[in-house]
Amino acid sequence: MAIEIKVPTVGESITEVTISNWLKNDGDFIEMDEIICELESEKATFELNAEASGILKILVQEGDTVLVGTAICEIDEKSIPQKEKKDAPGISEAPSEPGKLFEMKVPTVGESITEVVISSWAKKNGEYVQLDEVIAEIESEKATFELTAEANGILHHIAKEGATLKIGALICTIEETSTPPQKNNVPPEKEVPVHAEDNKKGTYSEGHPSPAAAKILSEKGLSPAEITGSGPGGRIIKEDALKASAESKQSDTSNLKAPDNVSLSKEISNRTQRRKKLSQLRKTVSRRLVKVKNETAMLTTFNEVNMGPIMDLRKKYKEAFKEKYEVNLGFMSFFTKACCIALQEWPSVNAMIDGDEMIYNDYCDISIAVSAPKGLVVPVIRNAESMSFAEIEKEVLLLATKARDNKLSIEEMTGGTFTITNGGVFGSMLSTPIINAPQSAILGMHNIVERPVAENGDVIIRPIMYIALSYDHRIIDGRESVGFLVRIKQLLEDPSRLLLEI
Amino acid sequence: MDYDVVVIGSGPGGYIAAIRCAQLGMKTAIIEKYESLGGTCLNVGCIPSKALLDSTEHFITAKNDFKEHGIELSNLKADLSKMISRKEEVVSQTTQGVSFLMKKNKIKVIHGTASFVDKNTVSVISKDGKKTRTTGSRFIIATGSKPASLPFIKLDKKRIITSTEALNLKQIPKHLIVIGGGVIGMELGSVYGRLGSKVTVIEFLDSIIPTMDKTMGKELQKSLQKLDFDFYLNHKVYEVTSTSRQVTVKAEGSKGEKIEIKGDYCLVSIGRRPYTDNLGLDKTSIDLDKQGRIIVNEKLQTNIETIYAIGDVIEGPMLAHKAEEEGVLVAEQIDGQKPHINYLLIPGVVYTWPEVASVGYTEEQLKEKGHKYKIGTFPFRASGRARASMDLDGLVKVLADHSTDEILGMHIIGPRAADMIAEGVVAMEYRASAEDISRMSHAHPTYSEAIKEACLAATENRALNM
Repeated sequence: MAIEIKVPTVGESITEVTISNWLKNDGDFIEMDEIICELESEKATFELNAEASGILKILVQEGDTVLVGTAICEIDEKSIPQKEKKDAPGISEAPSEPGKLFEMKVPTVGESITEVVISSWAKKNGEYVQLDEVIAEIESEKATFELTAEANGILHHIAKEGATLKIGALICTIEETSTPPQKNNVPPEKEVPVHAEDNKKGTYSEGHPSPAAAKILSEKGLSPAEITGSGPGGRIIKEDALKASAESKQSDTSNLKAPDNVSLSKEISNRTQRRKKLSQLRKTVSRRLVKVKNETAMLTTFNEVNMGPIMDLRKKYKEAFKEKYEVNLGFMSFFTKACCIALQEWPSVNAMIDGDEMIYNDYCDISIAVSAPKGLVVPVIRNAESMSFAEIEKEVLLLATKARDNKLSIEEMTGGTFTITNGGVFGSMLSTPIINAPQSAILGMHNIVERPVAENGDVIIRPIMYIALSYDHRIIDGRESVGFLVRIKQLLEDPSRLLLEI
Repeated sequence: MDYDVVVIGSGPGGYIAAIRCAQLGMKTAIIEKYESLGGTCLNVGCIPSKALLDSTEHFITAKNDFKEHGIELSNLKADLSKMISRKEEVVSQTTQGVSFLMKKNKIKVIHGTASFVDKNTVSVISKDGKKTRTTGSRFIIATGSKPASLPFIKLDKKRIITSTEALNLKQIPKHLIVIGGGVIGMELGSVYGRLGSKVTVIEFLDSIIPTMDKTMGKELQKSLQKLDFDFYLNHKVYEVTSTSRQVTVKAEGSKGEKIEIKGDYCLVSIGRRPYTDNLGLDKTSIDLDKQGRIIVNEKLQTNIETIYAIGDVIEGPMLAHKAEEEGVLVAEQIDGQKPHINYLLIPGVVYTWPEVASVGYTEEQLKEKGHKYKIGTFPFRASGRARASMDLDGLVKVLADHSTDEILGMHIIGPRAADMIAEGVVAMEYRASAEDISRMSHAHPTYSEAIKEACLAATENRALNM
């Protein structure tokens, strides 16, 4: 089947994008998730990944500007690349003995990872899969991976969705066959048509919601994939959606307008609770946060920063910066830069304890806390001290985008000597962040609010941000932590100091 | 704010949106430029054209078929002025119905032309020139469309006319020239063709009703030729001139051959353009696309978050029922619900006789996508019901997925096609297979049996009555 690839929604106010570059040619065979073209919006440039493997058919040419949601190409999934057939003669041309089982095991995914969870099967039990097709999504405590088929054939699940497996454990087997069952060689007259009732497994209609069910599920924030359809051919009927919604009614009734009839509303409100297994990521986050609270002597110092000078500077050079570097000049580069200077002046803030020793880091690897769909992740900007503002902004954008798409690799999240977290984006005025172990300190940014401040005996309105530094008192003394934070304040309030490093 | 929601335009999109908003407890107002509510559809579109199509269909049946039915008539005569006044009556009752619905749902009707002042305010100029201001938390633009023309055509609205004038002619044309073989041209051409006008259709593309499956256009052309229709396909009109009594249309074929056609009326039905004149969109800097349509996101919200747009002013087929679905969607979006519209499954309908109706992909689209499909067709000639009513023209064509048998498109040309297409929409919303329909009982004798038979043909080429 041909899949239409549409221009994704890239931002609230972006309505059109320009195709700046096709990286693949019309008729090319492409793999799922391969980058097929570059798009340019008025705000940023981004890449479009293939949503499926197959033959690419380009619908919109380079240089054309199209609306968000327009189909720009199609991927014909059914086409198996000629090339691949030749590359793998053992599989396609000389069909291997049917029934030969190929065992697929949990791959080694990272140094410290010992177990993973099957978060979802992309292919159903008994389905025909092709070499390199994604068959399952696997979650480790640090990241999500896709498991691809290592052979052509019929998939047999061994592990269930949600199961926790050790590295090397058997996940599934693939019964090797070269061709999908009952395909093209059978004359169409004899082709067994889909019979809704008696075809419970793997029909095209399985999981298809009725119009009413689709609306209900969408309002519940549930995906049809999470629901088992009880209608003919596995269709999701209204009742299925209603039942699924009953589980989460608690949160939902709050969105509803107050009904006219009060007694009715009492009947509606129920007291059900829901249980959901913690994801690997959430388990790791909770374990590590508690550990830090228990094992360090953590406390927080505060200060306030007049953001006026930085805002002025940004306003003045925003356009020029964007034009030259193709990335927006944000606050992160200022904070990162200021931290690097201050960390080098107060090396203990950039240090960590290892047993009876202290490790001083002569480089600044700045971790940035990012809220990703599955929870908090902390990718690292390496050697930030030697980076320019533009390089930092680009890196931040890259890491944040990857985090949002669950594409961060473990390497990108490992290490880091100091962390910056910005609760301000969610509206936080003040907070006491928890240290990202084994680091010793974390800087908390907050929202910028116009506040009256006294200057030279006058009350003046200034854009103020409160900043917080949580630190491990075991190795950082008050003088150092407070000095560090005051230095940050000084650098930010007079950004020319960042240039001169004074 | 005066209102939670202010709807601009009271066509089928606008008034339905207003009712749904009111049902959801929002304080709602609707602004309409004209005296009567209902927009193009109720006043100068769907409803009046159907009234005239029904009257003329009765006439042509009486003229051509009654004798064979055993009914003798003498002095059969078409009274166009009576037909037009009956049409007026139908229109007035229908628009009054809308006024009643506004009252029933406590929707404030404001008469006048709305123009945006800012994202929460419109100024409304009433007919007598009085200017007032109305504020709202949300606005829904539902101002619809107007007949489009070509730059070199001067619509004198007497001899060179649009659909609006064609619904109010004082005399039956001797020779009506129709520029544009789309839905409107075929419907209004049929009205006068049935009353005895010679009709000449000039179409730029290679088929009439070109957006539909090609089989439909071919079949419709055959049926209309029986009504003294002439067709010039692949012809580009380049000059239209009129005197007080005559219109001359010059066109050029794809091979450069030139034709000149003289008639007493010329209907320009080349499409419709989104109508946003005087809306003051520049004041709120609402974005339009190159065709002048308002750009909206998937929530049908414009780039200004308080302002939504639905129906003919945005992208998509210019159909009343599409606008209605969008009206409901926006109202429910504003209420925090998350409705969907499956645009593929908005049926298209042509009220000629035989009627044409269509949903899903056309065969041409499937070919272009490279999607492997099966076809099942069943002609009405083989239907007992159709033979009884002497409606033997047309067929049902079902397109199904080659391997899964899922129905991908249903195209009907034949009696009551417009009503029957609903079965295709329901089936496709549930992603039914052709065999699913084949295994559902269809009452006998009905036209809808033809759908079942076409599905049998699509499933395994095993139609039972062929």
